[in-house]
Amino acid sequence: MKLKDIVENLSLDVLTNFEDKEVTGVYISDMLSDVMSNAQAGNLWVTIQTHKNIVAAANLIDISAVIVSQGTKVPDETIELANRYNVVILNTNDSTFTLSGKLYQLGIK
Amino acid sequence: MRDSTHYIVDVSRIQNILKAKVWVSNTSSNEHITGIYASDLMSDVLAYGKPGSMLLTGLNTVQAVISAYMAEFRGVAFIRNKSPEEETLKFAREKGMFVLSTESDMYEACVKLATLESKVSEEVMEVEEVSKAENITTHSFFIDGNDFANAGLVSTQIKALLKSIGYDPQIIRRAAISTYEAEMNVVMHARKADVTLTASDKEIYIIFIDEGKGIKDIDLAMQEGYSTATEEQRALGFGAGMGLPNIKKNADELEINSVVDVGTRIEIYFYIK
Repeated sequence: MKLKDIVENLSLDVLTNFEDKEVTGVYISDMLSDVMSNAQAGNLWVTIQTHKNIVAAANLIDISAVIVSQGTKVPDETIELANRYNVVILNTNDSTFTLSGKLYQLGIK
Repeated sequence: MRDSTHYIVDVSRIQNILKAKVWVSNTSSNEHITGIYASDLMSDVLAYGKPGSMLLTGLNTVQAVISAYMAEFRGVAFIRNKSPEEETLKFAREKGMFVLSTESDMYEACVKLATLESKVSEEVMEVEEVSKAENITTHSFFIDGNDFANAGLVSTQIKALLKSIGYDPQIIRRAAISTYEAEMNVVMHARKADVTLTASDKEIYIIFIDEGKGIKDIDLAMQEGYSTATEEQRALGFGAGMGLPNIKKNADELEINSVVDVGTRIEIYFYIK
């Protein structure tokens, strides 16, 4: 599934430059070491972490996009860094749990 | 609205759906939950989790269960087949909480639970009997900085004391969350702290006086997301920069005084209406 379709269907806020990518699944975690060892390339990464370290992690393992849930505000320095490394960061007011249900309904297994 | 999930589900159904292993089973008769909160960051759980929920987390430390207890959750399910430590199980048993573990990762577990059809209109939560507090009581505690093994014990004791006095569960929850955040701040950032709880029929007053590095810029520290925590501390699910804002959100009044390289004094007030 294309990232663009997910953004449109779930009305996600795009905080960075947008680049459409193929989404291959979802990985949820708020612990960077966990994401780096277990998420797959192309995964959407759902988290409430907003520290700029998330950009490095997302970039290292080729995450298709980071979705920051729970309406958590993302600091400017994180967004700047994400733009530099072409990491897409999205924002939603849904909780991680609620968002999971919606992503599944869209057909992301 | 932040979270639209309101439902009543028996824990046995959760267990079936997640094919979960039961580590600790709640002994009380109403073993059900009214919502699910998925997170690995404990301040987030304390800030947004709703009473009666189950915590779904990959954070396999006793702090997960302590946080869930402070937020009045019924139990915890660990993802990715993590085996909880004995300390975690012991705490859960003492507090009457259930503990499960499942092979699913967070997404799979959320999806399985989201497909539960038994959404029910909000049921009035059981309200504990409240007796009026009368006398003034004072209790003192000590927190060792950097002692992560015992982090959360002082707030657990304070919560139990407030419960035994018989305050309104809502105030107890707010006081417990604030105390826990303040305690974690001491553990992460200070050498040691003295804590005093004064409880009367007019107010609950809790003061933390620590010796440590102090807070350079209190306004900055009050901003959500600002944190000086190390990677190690973040790995424990803390240091998301939500501690002080979380205390402010829950307290009726918060006073912070700090001197760099000396220490910090935090005073938290809850008024009984």
